[in-house]
Amino acid sequence: MERYLTAIGSHLFLVFGLLALGGAATMVFARSAVHSVVGFLFCMLALASCYLCLGAEFLATAQILVYAGGIVVLFLFVVMIVELSKYKEKTRFQVQAPWAVGMVVAGAAAFIAVFWQTYFSPSAPQALTLDPTLAQGLDVANQNAQALSRGLYADYLLPFEILSVILLVALVGAVVLAKAERT
Amino acid sequence: MPSMNSVLLISFLLFSIGVVGVLIRRNALIILMCAELMLNAANLNLIAFARHSGTVHGQAFALLVMGLAAAEVAVGLALVVALYRKKSTIQVDELDLLKG
Repeated sequence: MERYLTAIGSHLFLVFGLLALGGAATMVFARSAVHSVVGFLFCMLALASCYLCLGAEFLATAQILVYAGGIVVLFLFVVMIVELSKYKEKTRFQVQAPWAVGMVVAGAAAFIAVFWQTYFSPSAPQALTLDPTLAQGLDVANQNAQALSRGLYADYLLPFEILSVILLVALVGAVVLAKAERT
Repeated sequence: MPSMNSVLLISFLLFSIGVVGVLIRRNALIILMCAELMLNAANLNLIAFARHSGTVHGQAFALLVMGLAAAEVAVGLALVVALYRKKSTIQVDELDLLKG
């Protein structure tokens, strides 16, 4: 039992990554909009676990707070406001769906072929690694949040301030757009 | 420890699912969610490269992307609600005001 647990533990990233893919597929192909939102929620939680596996503790927490706590709830509210059952969808998909899927699958196959050629051919370059020894710069005094705040407020202060202005504009814009029109 | 290739592959597959969703679904809400999914796939890449390089720059950038995604969702959902008020539909192929 313990052997299996260790085996799973060393592949946690893959487990959560596959769960995220499953959630995303549910989101795209579900018939009801609420099921789509639940798939989206599942995908975001699995992605937060992936971030945790990659040593980004603060971002994993922020992902759960922002997505699971804020965005999913907003989506559910809009699903509630916009009465979807009134007009039953004749079809879920656009008419050109087969073409679109075909093009994306062809593009993905081409990408994976290049990927395969690059990494598994005899003359492949050294693959990038994620050794634990590389991750030391991500922690200051064993805290990821501290390291991240130093990076954010020292090197990216201007982008951060611009982002806060963008958020303010989006807030006001959302209120103006969603407000009922006065006649 | 995951290998870099597996991280990149999973992020690529997530992005592809997002693209497929944007292209084939008719419901504006689900199209918005697929756009969010694509942003998250990019975030996964940024975090993986931050982990590889051992600096926090990638993580700082991912945090900025997350804030931008929140702003995008707020405006997008407001647009969906306004659209529903005006046309009482959010199926994107029924909106052809620019057709003339």
